[in-house]
Amino acid sequence: MGILEGFVGGLFQAFSFDVFPYLLVGSLFGLIVGVIPGLSGHFAMAMAIPFLYTMEPNAGVAFILGAHATVAQGGGITAILFSTPGTGQNAATMLDGPPMRRQGLGGQAVGAALLACFMGATFGAVALAILLPVLQEASLLFGPPEIVILSFLALTFVAVLGKEDMARSLVVALLGLMLAMVGLDNVTNQARFTFDSFALIDGLPLVPVILGLFAVSEMFDLFIRGGSLSDSSDGKAMSMRETQRQIFSGMKITLQKWWLVMRCSSIGTLMGLVPGLGSAPAAFVAYGHAKQTSKDKASFGKGNIEGVIGAEAANDAVEGGALASTIAFGIPGSSSMAILLGGLFILGMETGPRMMISHLDIVFVMIFTIVIGNLIGTIFGMFLVNPLTRATFLRSSILVPVLICIVFTGAYVVHNAWFEMVIALVFGILGYVMKELSYSRAAMLIGLVLGYAIEKNLYLALQLDGPRFYLDPIPLTLVVITLVFLGWNIWTFIRDRKKEA
Amino acid sequence: MKNTLFRTATALAVMIPALFMAGHSQAEDLSAAEAFYDGNTINWIVPYSPGGGYDEYSRLIIPYFEKYTGARVRLQNNPGAGGMRGANDIYRAPKDGLTVGIVNGSALVTNQLAGIEGAIYQFESYGFLGRIVADQRVLAISTTGDFDTIEEMLGAGSTFKIGATGLGGSTYVDALVAGELFNLDQDIIHGFDSSSVIRQAMLRRDIVGMWGSYGSAIQDVEDGMQKIVLQSGQERTDAIPNAPTVLELAERMQVGDEKMAVLRAWQGLNDVGRPVVTPPGIPADRLAFLQRAFEQAMNDPEMIEEAQRSGRDLTFANGERMAQIATDAAVMPETAEAFFVEAVAGGI
Repeated sequence: MGILEGFVGGLFQAFSFDVFPYLLVGSLFGLIVGVIPGLSGHFAMAMAIPFLYTMEPNAGVAFILGAHATVAQGGGITAILFSTPGTGQNAATMLDGPPMRRQGLGGQAVGAALLACFMGATFGAVALAILLPVLQEASLLFGPPEIVILSFLALTFVAVLGKEDMARSLVVALLGLMLAMVGLDNVTNQARFTFDSFALIDGLPLVPVILGLFAVSEMFDLFIRGGSLSDSSDGKAMSMRETQRQIFSGMKITLQKWWLVMRCSSIGTLMGLVPGLGSAPAAFVAYGHAKQTSKDKASFGKGNIEGVIGAEAANDAVEGGALASTIAFGIPGSSSMAILLGGLFILGMETGPRMMISHLDIVFVMIFTIVIGNLIGTIFGMFLVNPLTRATFLRSSILVPVLICIVFTGAYVVHNAWFEMVIALVFGILGYVMKELSYSRAAMLIGLVLGYAIEKNLYLALQLDGPRFYLDPIPLTLVVITLVFLGWNIWTFIRDRKKEA
Repeated sequence: MKNTLFRTATALAVMIPALFMAGHSQAEDLSAAEAFYDGNTINWIVPYSPGGGYDEYSRLIIPYFEKYTGARVRLQNNPGAGGMRGANDIYRAPKDGLTVGIVNGSALVTNQLAGIEGAIYQFESYGFLGRIVADQRVLAISTTGDFDTIEEMLGAGSTFKIGATGLGGSTYVDALVAGELFNLDQDIIHGFDSSSVIRQAMLRRDIVGMWGSYGSAIQDVEDGMQKIVLQSGQERTDAIPNAPTVLELAERMQVGDEKMAVLRAWQGLNDVGRPVVTPPGIPADRLAFLQRAFEQAMNDPEMIEEAQRSGRDLTFANGERMAQIATDAAVMPETAEAFFVEAVAGGI
């Protein structure tokens, strides 16, 4: 099947009566799952699996992938309105989304986030379509040596995120790297920092940590501070008309910043191609990039809409990249893609080269599902904003207990583990203390996420290619980029300091 | 003529239920259990995350298990500690017969032998509903590499790299078994996150091959990306006629009694496969009822067809047979046991 043939076939199928209803239902389901803190795309897809047994392949693919595609959009809404990342990948949205809400611009932030998601997803999907002829080569580019260096590169973005207070940022980034070492070491079989607890053997689970750091801590803060989530106005809820106006103005700003969206989307797509990095670091790196290239760096973290746009665009652009190796070889790049692969098996589909040859139309159904799914998410997301915005005007003594219940349920439900609620609580306290003492929680999260990737892949790279693994062409290029980037950051850091002095 | 037919039919009509009753002498005793399960909820624990083989097998079988138990079955993913957390959860669940789960048999047996910290279960003490599938382990190598057959690998002039996940995991232990038997000149690179990442490394030609289940290798084989050069089992599977079994090769190479003992122990472990178990000590009639329902579910033609369509092998063994396999697997000669204990602990 030729690419053009597949394209047309996929397009017609995606809009056909056999497929579109499933796509719609899947996307809406994903959106709602995303809105609920702790429940991720992973969860949405797992829930969708039992329904696949009776479905046709194209409908099933649209259903399950649609459920995954919109999760980040839903999560963005929660991150902005409730200071609670709806999914792990929305943690970066927390940096500028909630400050905007506090300024009474919550609607604008959500509008920008929704459209940025859609544009990012479309970018990722188009990139995937363009890459199709070379998909196999592209998805083999990143092995352990490349991942180590790329993770280092991503780690240097801590320097951008925490420029205002470098010492504090480095302290917590290192703390994050150390936290990544908790658990059974894959290489030596030694348990590290587990305090003989069986529950810590697999290391710190990411979702409860993120929920603790970013959601539980905010709940503490809100409860102690009192008032409501939207403390800008005089306690009166924003009118529906005003919310609508804000959403559209947010979307307009996103359109005006199309070049930023493109750049952040390409960061997302690229990082999606790398197996095992996940979308949380992609969003942070894109955020760092947005801040670095912005004219108004000082307002980042205090409610700059560019921070929201960058993070959310990268968030959804990841999907296109992550799908690449899944389609090309049937090698899942993330846990969600592993579930998708399981779903494809149930549907009787074959992934890998045979899918590229004989089922190209299904590949295009996937591509269109990402695009259309996000469009559906954007449209219906707009309807969700109004009632949710009203909830943000509730008194904290009402809102906090409700949100705490939802957040802790989310922490529990990922692995059906009580212990993960404890982790959410511990990191909630830690997050609150960090917030009060103005330590960057984002820097710590980046350290934690990349710590896993760096340590594991460094060991593998050394085993596979020896101590000079970084001298191969791709790793070497990445090393150069990393050094230039780091050097430039240090230079501007010193320069700005001198200016201040 | 008509009369004879009628008589035969009557005779059959009387005989068939009689036969049925004879075959299931406890059929009468199970009515209490049947009433207990009807409309009740069974928890089915999967010790791994959604999306893997254990999860897919479970989701495939559960609707049929519901059909024959009359109960609602709720799947619960309890991942962690390489499947040990879920296995522990099943073991210490209430003994009311309302918790069952699928487990990784060979890993549980070897972890128990090695006294791995955190293993609270005694494998033989679980109640066994039966086995879904035995482990068919294969050594798959890249088709673009330097080797075509196991013989070429045996005669390799230089060290080749085999990929594995965690130290002591099954991909690692299998590679060690083969290395021990045939003195392979191999370097086992362990520490890959999952078998998918190892497959990517193989395609990148970072490594030559990996041990894994036949089910996860088959697609890459059909796609011409991998080829199987060695397989577990007593004889060659119809699907892989060209790859020798480990047993065959060991006999041909006359590896000696001590190594043969390791091989037999390994085969015993593979036979344990993926059983469905209950906590120890649930009421006998409920166990018998669940065993019967599980057997019916596993033999349901619709289920078998669905399994085939999604490429899932089935090698069913009933509860009684499975209990025997479990007991056999845990008993191995001292030297073999010492080998597996070392292997699982990552000491080799």
